[in-house]
Amino acid sequence: MARITVTVRVFGQRGTRRLRLQARARVTDLLRSLGYNPEVVATRRDGKIVAEGERLANGDLVEIIPIVTGG
Amino acid sequence: MLRCSLCGRRAVYDRHYAGVLLCDRCLVKSVERRFRRAIAEHKLIAPSERIAVAVSGGKDSVVCLHMLAEHLRLRNCELAAITIDEGIKGYRDRSLPIAKENAELLGVRHLVVNFEDAFGATLDRMVRLAKRRKTGLNPCTYCGVMRRSLLNQAARELGADKLATAHNLDDEVQAIMLNYVRADLSRLHRLGPIYSPREGFVPRIKPLREIPEKEVALYALLRELRVHLAVCPYAGGIHIEIRDFLNNLEANHPNSKFMILRMFDRLKPQVVRGVPEFEMRRCEVCGEPTSTNVCKSCELLKKLGLEKQRKTLIY
Repeated sequence: MARITVTVRVFGQRGTRRLRLQARARVTDLLRSLGYNPEVVATRRDGKIVAEGERLANGDLVEIIPIVTGG
Repeated sequence: MLRCSLCGRRAVYDRHYAGVLLCDRCLVKSVERRFRRAIAEHKLIAPSERIAVAVSGGKDSVVCLHMLAEHLRLRNCELAAITIDEGIKGYRDRSLPIAKENAELLGVRHLVVNFEDAFGATLDRMVRLAKRRKTGLNPCTYCGVMRRSLLNQAARELGADKLATAHNLDDEVQAIMLNYVRADLSRLHRLGPIYSPREGFVPRIKPLREIPEKEVALYALLRELRVHLAVCPYAGGIHIEIRDFLNNLEANHPNSKFMILRMFDRLKPQVVRGVPEFEMRRCEVCGEPTSTNVCKSCELLKKLGLEKQRKTLIY
């Protein structure tokens, strides 16, 4: 089955990483594969907030923003 | 592309607990509607009242400040922001300028009160002293008790009728669960959209109580508000375990957080009946209101050997 490659950046951390996912993978699949609970992060694709059910495409730049802050 | 269930524009959020997708505009509108509904339903603010709001610079308090400023502008109410600087190096010194910036942007009076002036030591120093003296208490205990005390003093000195805090749905449900786990009825009964203790205490209101943390964060991002997104270096312990448990529960069983809140609200009248009446006094050391001879802040300061450092703040 075809696969896609996306670039992932985590807000507040340096650098990016490239990730291979199944074609038609959703944002939620990406988050789960990195161990994030979608409840505790917001996600931007190419600078725009996206719903976690949105499908990803080859070459997407995804930014994960941890939203659980404070004490 | 996923589309908004309400208007058909590009969706930015899956509101799993309601089974709908929302676009940026519909999400922002919905969050603002819940904020206004909480104020109206629980009569949190009356016309012409003076409201103080606790603003750390984090996403919740900045969102609360902006929504209150917009809401109160039309209602002849005065708003002032209070920031407590606990003295946490690398954390509070980064959020404080953001709190200040937002208050200035909105033309809201901003008051900063710090632990060092009030208690003679920063939280960082208290943590070191606590370790050295083996008090067995964690930083959140000192911080929570003393921050609440200073917020109340500052709000009272400002002549505020209400003190708004930015507790969101997640915070409230975590507090409910924590008090269940600790079987702490006296703290449990204080939870709710409004808590009006006795004389000397400014009634506290929580207009974000029915807004999930993720929606508060998305609101801040979508409105491009300047917020401090960081975790307190002292955060830890059972609070974090409960938070993670609830987030896993919500991910696997959407709407769980709201159900816990609704159940608590239904049980609350029985909870209140179970709390014994107590007499309100003045702390023998600092004069602040308390139910015991010495208030919790002074009790903790004594454990740290700082009891003589406490000062009365006059603004």
